[in-house]
Amino acid sequence: MNLLSVSDDHNAGGRAVTIKNLDLTYITTVEKKPTFRQALTRTGRKTREVRALEGVNLEIPYGSVLGVIGSNGAGKSSLMRVISGIIPPTSGRVEIAGKVSTLLALGVGFNPRLTGRENVILGGLAAGLNRAEIEQQFEEITAFAEIGDAIDSPMKTYSSGMYSRLAFAVSVVVEPDILIIDEALSTGDAKFKKKCLERIKSLRSHNRAIIIVSHALATINDICNDVLWLNQGKIMMRGEPGAVIAAYKESLHVAASPSADEDV
Amino acid sequence: MAHVQVYEPFRRGLPKVLPYFAQVWRRRSFVAEYSRSYLRAQDFGSLFGQLWLILNPLLLAFVYFLLIIVIGGDADGKRFAHLTSGLFLFYLVTNAVTIGAKSITSGGKLILNSAFPRFVLPLSATVISFFRFIPTLVVLAVITAFLASPWSVNLLFLPIILFLVLLLALALALLFATLNVYFRDTKNFLPYVTRAWLYLSPVLYESSALSPALAPLKFINPLASFIDAWSGIIVNGIAPSATTWLLMIGWSLGLLFISLYLFLSREREFALRI
Repeated sequence: MNLLSVSDDHNAGGRAVTIKNLDLTYITTVEKKPTFRQALTRTGRKTREVRALEGVNLEIPYGSVLGVIGSNGAGKSSLMRVISGIIPPTSGRVEIAGKVSTLLALGVGFNPRLTGRENVILGGLAAGLNRAEIEQQFEEITAFAEIGDAIDSPMKTYSSGMYSRLAFAVSVVVEPDILIIDEALSTGDAKFKKKCLERIKSLRSHNRAIIIVSHALATINDICNDVLWLNQGKIMMRGEPGAVIAAYKESLHVAASPSADEDV
Repeated sequence: MAHVQVYEPFRRGLPKVLPYFAQVWRRRSFVAEYSRSYLRAQDFGSLFGQLWLILNPLLLAFVYFLLIIVIGGDADGKRFAHLTSGLFLFYLVTNAVTIGAKSITSGGKLILNSAFPRFVLPLSATVISFFRFIPTLVVLAVITAFLASPWSVNLLFLPIILFLVLLLALALALLFATLNVYFRDTKNFLPYVTRAWLYLSPVLYESSALSPALAPLKFINPLASFIDAWSGIIVNGIAPSATTWLLMIGWSLGLLFISLYLFLSREREFALRI
């Protein structure tokens, strides 16, 4: 399999992400959709405070693949959005040394009426790349995603597999220093998944920092060398994949079963 | 080694303005590409699509002209020139508002997954509206060549007025984009608001025809002075008065500052609200 060349420009062990005392609190209104009508008819302000992250301290060095696990609502995606700079922290400080690429970060598919090509270009431009950089990598992206001529069809005609293959291709081909993959590996077929994992391993051996959020514990165990377990916004445990995953499973009271290991 | 990016909580309302607009400037090709693909997705790339861009406002102008004749009794060519020039300018602004109002809420995926200055979305809405306005300038040139006063040197003021109108359109796009995040039914009210606004603007009539009781509309309605100035130059070749200039500059810059403050101080919350 042809893996793309990746340049080495980081020292293993150099800090990619440093997070100090991070708190994130959302204040959500109870309403499903905020409208004028509800603003007029509701009595008093019903708001709910959601503490998505509490006192998170985290350092992620280059050359590591960090798996982030935890049950639904543990704050995994919130943490990823804070690291990507999409959501500002409520308190604390986040330092990022390098170029971050979140999977789907390039906005792939944000407008289903546009073609895959237009979406990739738009997403790249929004992420701050210039046109030349994007076009330079376009062939690599389509080749990696294996979607052929469909790149020029509107994205509403894509299957979910094509959609996620394109998104993954975009996020890894742009050679991020820090790659964030949030629950996106589960949609591809076995062959593509294998290719993704090889790509991730290659990025790791070139001293990039990779953060993977997934419920697929077997995959996490396979490719990560470091695992973080979040529960209700707090770090429960961090360390060797085997130990952390075992502790996490213990807390869920699930015995080892295939369904706990892989998303099906 | 790449530079270090730091994310900290918001202490004051606004992000640092200079780096913010440097980021906006870096994304100028995004604005161009987004606007182009938006228009392309609405088939404005095709010949008939572009034809429609001209036909639509022209047909509207005819319908309103009919209304003026039926209600007012009579109307001449100058009246039609005033109507079309005012109507096209009015739609430049309200299109920006309508597209801008949805720009944040419909950019959900992009906003949730990418860090970029959200300002570029309402800005794109204004650019899209401007692209749609350009073909109508041709129609306007043809109509005024036949129906209005001879072209005068005052036409040179038009680009300045157009620039100020675009600032006003941007200001309103920012304002309604923000409102629509917090009140999702804003976009449902918009058609009624713009319709009422049309009747409160000197498009179907001239400002001079307003009764004394309604005369303050010229000052209260942000668009009134623009339409007066725009049509005054195109139809009668008269340069805007000092008061009109002051009103135009005051409304466009004033509203822009207010909306910018509102938008920039809220935009980092948008990802949480969508």
